Amino acid sequence: MKKVVIIIILSFSTSIRVFSQDKVDQCLECHEAIGDQPSTLFKNDIHQTKGITCSDCHGGDSTSDDMEKAMSKTSGFIGVPKGDNVSKVCTNCHSNAQIMVKRYNSALPWNQGDLLAQSVHGRLSISGKERIVKCTTCHNTHGIVSVKDPSSPIYPVNLPKTCAKCHSDAKYMRTYNPALPVDQLDKYRTSEHGILNAKGDAKVAECASCHGSHEIRSAKDVKSKVYAINLPRTCSTCHSNPNYMRGYKIPSDQFEKYSNSVHGKLLLEKNDFNAPACNDCHGNHSATPPGVESISKVCGTCHALNSELFASSPHKKAFDQRRLPECETCHGNHEIITATDKLLGVQNGAVCKWCHGDKPESKAFQTAKFMRELRDSLVSEDKNALLLINEAEQKGIEISDAKFKLRDAKQALFESRTMVHSFDRSKFQEVIDKGLNVTSTVSEDASNAIEDYFFRRWGLGVSSLIITIVAISLYLYIRKIERRQKSTV
Amino acid sequence: MKNYIQNLYKWIDERVQLQSLVEFMGKKYVPVHRHSIWYYFGGVSLFLFIIQVVTGILLLMYYKGSEDLAFESIHFIMSKVEFGWLIRSIHSWSANLFILAAMIHMFSVFFGKAYRKPREVTWLTGMLMFFMALAFGFSGYLLPWNELAFFATKVGTDIAGDIPIIGKTILEFLRGGEDVTGATLSRFFGFHVAIFPGIFTVLLTIHLLLVQRQGMSEPLFIEDEEKYEKKKMSFFPNFLLRDLLLWLIVLNILAILAVFFPWELGTKADPFAPAPAGIKPEWYFLFMFQTLKYIPANIWFIEGEIFGIVLFGIAGILWTLVPFWDRKSFRGERNRFINYVGIFVVIYIILLTTLGWLT
Repeated sequence: MKKVVIIIILSFSTSIRVFSQDKVDQCLECHEAIGDQPSTLFKNDIHQTKGITCSDCHGGDSTSDDMEKAMSKTSGFIGVPKGDNVSKVCTNCHSNAQIMVKRYNSALPWNQGDLLAQSVHGRLSISGKERIVKCTTCHNTHGIVSVKDPSSPIYPVNLPKTCAKCHSDAKYMRTYNPALPVDQLDKYRTSEHGILNAKGDAKVAECASCHGSHEIRSAKDVKSKVYAINLPRTCSTCHSNPNYMRGYKIPSDQFEKYSNSVHGKLLLEKNDFNAPACNDCHGNHSATPPGVESISKVCGTCHALNSELFASSPHKKAFDQRRLPECETCHGNHEIITATDKLLGVQNGAVCKWCHGDKPESKAFQTAKFMRELRDSLVSEDKNALLLINEAEQKGIEISDAKFKLRDAKQALFESRTMVHSFDRSKFQEVIDKGLNVTSTVSEDASNAIEDYFFRRWGLGVSSLIITIVAISLYLYIRKIERRQKSTV
Repeated sequence: MKNYIQNLYKWIDERVQLQSLVEFMGKKYVPVHRHSIWYYFGGVSLFLFIIQVVTGILLLMYYKGSEDLAFESIHFIMSKVEFGWLIRSIHSWSANLFILAAMIHMFSVFFGKAYRKPREVTWLTGMLMFFMALAFGFSGYLLPWNELAFFATKVGTDIAGDIPIIGKTILEFLRGGEDVTGATLSRFFGFHVAIFPGIFTVLLTIHLLLVQRQGMSEPLFIEDEEKYEKKKMSFFPNFLLRDLLLWLIVLNILAILAVFFPWELGTKADPFAPAPAGIKPEWYFLFMFQTLKYIPANIWFIEGEIFGIVLFGIAGILWTLVPFWDRKSFRGERNRFINYVGIFVVIYIILLTTLGWLT
C-alpha cells in the first residue's frame, strides 16, 4: 500500500512537471539537484525573484530537461560569460529602458553600463583584453541582492570593505596606480564617517557618497566629484541638507559660509587651486574636524610662517589654557574673510580688542595699538611714494627702477602682516622699518626725478633761447651781407 | 673777435688754400623762384642724418646688442647716463624727422622733374638712400628689444617672407633663422651701425658731389612761365647760411620734441608672450601695412598679400626708374601725367597712413 502511495505521488508530481514545463527553470532544477554554489546563491538573487532565469544570462533552453538540448549552441547557450561579456550580459537588460521599465517596472537608471565604461574603472585592465572592473566585481555574481539589503556588498555599511578588496591590496593597486595610497579604508575608519559607518549607520558618507558609484573618475579628472573645485559641493549634498543632517548635531551652513569666505571665493569663483577645499582642512578619507590644538598646524600647511610665529608666541600658551581654537578664534572657520588691517589694533572691529580692549594700560593693549600705528605709517608712506612715482611717470621721466624697488615696501607690508602673529613689538618693528627705508629711498628717487623734469624744462628753455638768438643773429647777418651784396652790384 | 676769426681763416688759408675753395663756392649759384623753399629739404635731411650719426655714436658707448642686455642697456641709458634720455630721444625723433624730410625732398624733386637728364644718377642715389633710410628705421626699431618692436619686426619680416620665390630666403636672412630671436637682434644691430652707414656714406658722397657738380635744377614749369625772370643767389655764403638758419630751427624743434615727448621704452620683449593687440609698424610703413589689410585674401589665383607685395615692388621700381621712362621731361616738355601720378601717391600715402593710425 505504501509503495502504491509513493508511485502515485511521483506520478502526480511528474505529471505536474510535464504539464507546467514552460514555467519551470530546468537549469536551476538540475543544478540545485547536484548542489552547486551558483544555483544555491541564485535562489536568493533579486533577479530570480523577478523571474529571470539562468538562460537569460547564460543562454540555452531553460525549459528543456534534456541537458544536451538545453545547453546546446543551437539553443544559444554561451556558458559562463568571460571578460567584458559579463557586463554586456548585465547591460542587455540594465541599459534597456523597454525591459527595465515595461517588463520589470524598475526605477534603476539605464546608464550604469555607459557610466562604468567612461569611469576610471572602465579603463582596460593590465591584460589589455577587458575592462578593470565588471559589474560582478562589486555586485557579486549569483547572489545579487538590492543595494538596500544589508547583505549586499554595496550596502553603504559594507561598501568600504568591498572597495577595499582592491584598493587596500597594495600588490594589486601597484599594477595600476603605484602612487595611489592603499590605506583609504584604515583612514576612513578613523574618520567621523568611518566610525559611524562601522557602527552600522548607513546614512554617513562612504566611498560612493563622495566618489560616485558607476561614474567614478580619477580625483585629477575635472569631472570627478572629488576634483578640488567640485568637492565643496559634493560634501554639501549631505552637509547642507538640514533634514539629512538632523540627528548629527552639527550645523548645515558650512557650504554657504565657505562660499563667502576668501578660500571659497578663490576656489569656486576664480578656480584658484591654491585655495583649500573641505578636505584640505578636514582630511579626505579620514575627514574629521581638526582639534583645538591642531588648528594652527592645519592652517599652517599653507600659512606656514603665520603658524610658526603663532606657535612660538605668548598667545599659544594662553589659547591652549583657555581651550581657544587658535587661528579660528580671530579669523573664523568656514567663513574666513580676507584679513585686513581692521583686524589689528584696539579700535572698533579689531580682534585684539575682544580680549585686550578693556585694559588700556596693559602691555598687550599697547602692543596692539603700537603695531597698528606702525603698519598705518608704512601704508601711508607706501602710498606717498607711489603717488610721487606716478607723478614722475606722468611727467615722462623714466623711473621704473624706483617703481621696482617699491615692491620691497609691498613685500614688507606682506611680511608685517605675517609678523603680527609673533605678537612681538621688536620683530614687527624690524619689518616695518625695512619697508620705511624702502619708501624713503623711493620717495627721494621719485622727487629727484620730478626735479629732473623741471630741470629739463629749464634746460630746454635756455637751449632754445640760445639757439633762437643764434638763429636771429644769423638771419640778421644774412640780411646784412645781402644788403652789402646788392649795394656792390 | 672779428680779428681772431680773420686770423684763424688766414692761418688755415695759408696752409690749405681755403680762399680758392670759397671762390669756387662763391661762383656756384642757386636758382631763386617761388618754389625755392623745397631746395632746403635736402640740406635738412643731411643735417638730420648728421645728428643721427652723432647721437648714434654716443648711444653706441652704452648700448649692448644682445637679447639679454639690449633692453636693459637702453633702460640704463635713459635712467642712469647723464643726458642719456636726451640723446636717445633725439636719436629716435631725428630718425623720424629724417625720413619725413627725405620724403619731402624726394617728392619736391619728383614734382620739379629734377631727375631728368643730366641728374638721373643723382635721383637714383637719392632713391637708394631713401630706401636705406627706411631700412635704417626698420633695423633701428628692433634694437631696444621691447614688445612693440619685437612684434612689429615679426610682422614686417613675415611680410618680407611672402615675396614670391625669394621670400623665405630673405626672411631667414633677415631673422638669422626661422624666428625673430637674439640672432635677429645681432644681425639688425650689425646692419644698423656698420653695413648701412657704410653704404649710405658712399651713396651720400656721390649724391653730394653730383649736386655740387651739376648745381640745383630749375623746375620745368617755372621755366615755362611767361613772367618768369631768372634770379639766383650764391651758394656761398647766401644759400649755405640760409641752410644753417633752417638747421638751427630744426634743432630747436628736435629739442622741444625730445623734452616734451620723450621716446618711450615700453616693456621688454617676451618671445613667448602673445602679440599685444593693435601692433602697427612705424608711420612710414603704415600705408603699405594698411593696404595689405584691405586687400582680399585672394585675387584671381594669387594670394592677396603676395599680390600687394608684388604691386608695391613694381610701384617702387617704376618710381625709382622714373628718369628713364618719363621721356617728355627728358626732352624738356611738360608732363602732366607725372604730376597726376605724384599727386595720387601723396594722397594715397596720407589717406592710408591716417586710416592706419586711426584704426
